[in-house]
Amino acid sequence: MKLVPRSLAWRLALMFALATVLLLGGIGVYLYHALEREIVWRDDQALKGRLERMTALLEDSDSLAVLRQRPGLYANMLDNRESLLWLLDDRGRALLEVNPVHRAVPELPQGDGVQLATLETPSPARLAWVTVRFQNQPVTLVAGRVLDERTRMLGDYRHRLLASLLGGALLALMLGYWIALRGLAPVRRLAGRINAIDTRHLHHRLPHTGEVSELRVLGRVLNVMLERLEQGFMQLSRFSEDLAHEMRTPLSNLMGQTQQAMQRDRSIEAYQTLLGSHLEEYERLSRMIDSMLFLARAEQADTALDHQPVDLNALAVQLCDYFEGMAEERGLTLAPCAHGQVHGDVDLLRRALANLIANALRYAYTNTTVTIGTRGHDGAVELYVCNDGPRIEPQHLPLVFERFYRIDASRQTPDDSGGLGLAIVRAIAGLHGGTASADNHGGGVCFSLRLPVAQSLS
Amino acid sequence: MRILIVEDEIKTADYLHKGLSESGYTVEVVHDGLLARERILHAHFDLFILDVMVPNMDGWQLLQFIRSRWQTPVLFLTARDAVAYRVRGLELGADDYLIKPFSFVELLARVRTLLRRGPPREIHLFRVSNLELDVLQRRVVRQGQAIHLTNREFALLHLLISHEGEVLSRTHIASQVWNMNFDSDTNVVDVAIRRLRSKIDEPFDTRLIHTVRGMGYCLGPDTTSAAP
Repeated sequence: MKLVPRSLAWRLALMFALATVLLLGGIGVYLYHALEREIVWRDDQALKGRLERMTALLEDSDSLAVLRQRPGLYANMLDNRESLLWLLDDRGRALLEVNPVHRAVPELPQGDGVQLATLETPSPARLAWVTVRFQNQPVTLVAGRVLDERTRMLGDYRHRLLASLLGGALLALMLGYWIALRGLAPVRRLAGRINAIDTRHLHHRLPHTGEVSELRVLGRVLNVMLERLEQGFMQLSRFSEDLAHEMRTPLSNLMGQTQQAMQRDRSIEAYQTLLGSHLEEYERLSRMIDSMLFLARAEQADTALDHQPVDLNALAVQLCDYFEGMAEERGLTLAPCAHGQVHGDVDLLRRALANLIANALRYAYTNTTVTIGTRGHDGAVELYVCNDGPRIEPQHLPLVFERFYRIDASRQTPDDSGGLGLAIVRAIAGLHGGTASADNHGGGVCFSLRLPVAQSLS
Repeated sequence: MRILIVEDEIKTADYLHKGLSESGYTVEVVHDGLLARERILHAHFDLFILDVMVPNMDGWQLLQFIRSRWQTPVLFLTARDAVAYRVRGLELGADDYLIKPFSFVELLARVRTLLRRGPPREIHLFRVSNLELDVLQRRVVRQGQAIHLTNREFALLHLLISHEGEVLSRTHIASQVWNMNFDSDTNVVDVAIRRLRSKIDEPFDTRLIHTVRGMGYCLGPDTTSAAP
């Protein structure tokens, strides 16, 4: 079992109780010692006073016999059974004795003036003694006090202190628990609100005007997290919807065409055409699935890349060679002028650049040039593909890399990439620790791929 | 040439059987791993086409079994294209793999490659109908008329003519001519074929390059021979 309780309220209560014990205990110890010192000092003063009075009495008395016979003379100054009094001659014999508890005559060292000592045996007693002359004989006058009563009293006092300390601690624990419970109530309320947020209520936000300033920070952070979650969730659900839609179109074509063809007997050629058309749809579906799988994998952080140095110029030249025929057919010129080298997966980078070039060619005005080039930045190389063509509205620019994102229906051309080409570009950039972006420039659009030059080969 | 297909999906097995038989191979199909093992032990085959997921004894086990005795080429089919899958198959000794869905043309091309024994013969002079291609001199002549082709056009024609009568998929052409190894949905190959046609087909009476709709392109003397 753990020593520290799991409940925050109990923890706070325990700490509260501990603090109380320390505080009360400290005060108790201090007060106890102060009291003890005070009592000792008073007792000593009383003993000394008694000695003085006895000395005076001795001086006034003519003989011991008088004193012995009239104990009332000194007994009145002995208040109770705790008091002790001896008058000892120089050989230690008791000439006079008040000794209700029958203690042995103490052996005391001689000295000048009044001396004080505490005897521990047979029972604790405080003694004061002084040597005076009585009838020209040195005698020792001893006054004492049995400490039983005092010890008992102080003991009782200690017990009471300890009991009140324990009681106080218990009370502090309960009080602390109650305070903590009350203090943590806003946290519970916050938890309740968060608990109410499920996937269908992701739009709910925690109130900004929270009652506790500490929780306001937490609420703000949670709201930011909710914002991101909601965006991600919406993107995901929109994506599933788009996917279903994108697959539904070719499937519907396939079903419709087949049903229409089967309504009556057709010529062999008609069947061949139908099957050919089917194949095209199947290929579209298959490509879409491939692209989707590619994107799904690219989002897994642990995708391993085959890193090697990639010559960007060679890559651009190769792709321009590949797209040359297509560009010429549309009256477009491809101008590769890339430089530099990055570390990366050449197949993936080729695919990304191919998608960018295909995209640029698709939307370029005729008789213009599509430029493929590089720009150096600190620590990064920007590989860009620019065309002369219709500009993209600024509000669409950050979204063109989203899956299935289409700016408008007019941008959908027969050789459309199915809306995944640019998403793949972004995924490839991400795999290389880079970014993809789109910008309007001059008379067209620039798509760029920013890749870090010094890749950590992790 | 005898081919054994181990595939439990009936439809897949069926069309593979039909298609490969039509292409002139002797084909046998089993739907179960243990039965396949029996057949492998008792008959001779020139090529195995294995699906990874077959009941009783999976493709990997069959592959290991085959490799423990023979060096017969093995082509494996899988619906999962995780890298680990491919690597595992190749490590166990498979010669090639195809990921479902694959095009039949692609499969046929792989089968042909695997069954081509020894190093490919270096042919320097091709002749189809009245078209001639000389690899060493980089010269193309049709009806005695020299035709000037760009490097890529020459490479494309070389590819088509060296696979005379075979349908080549767009993906295959892109990978062979431009070294583009991903499925591109652009019409680059169609454009290149169109331009090639404008030089070697259009000025003449008969066409040699044929479009096989949904499958790819094929070079041959006339349309009837365009079948794979």
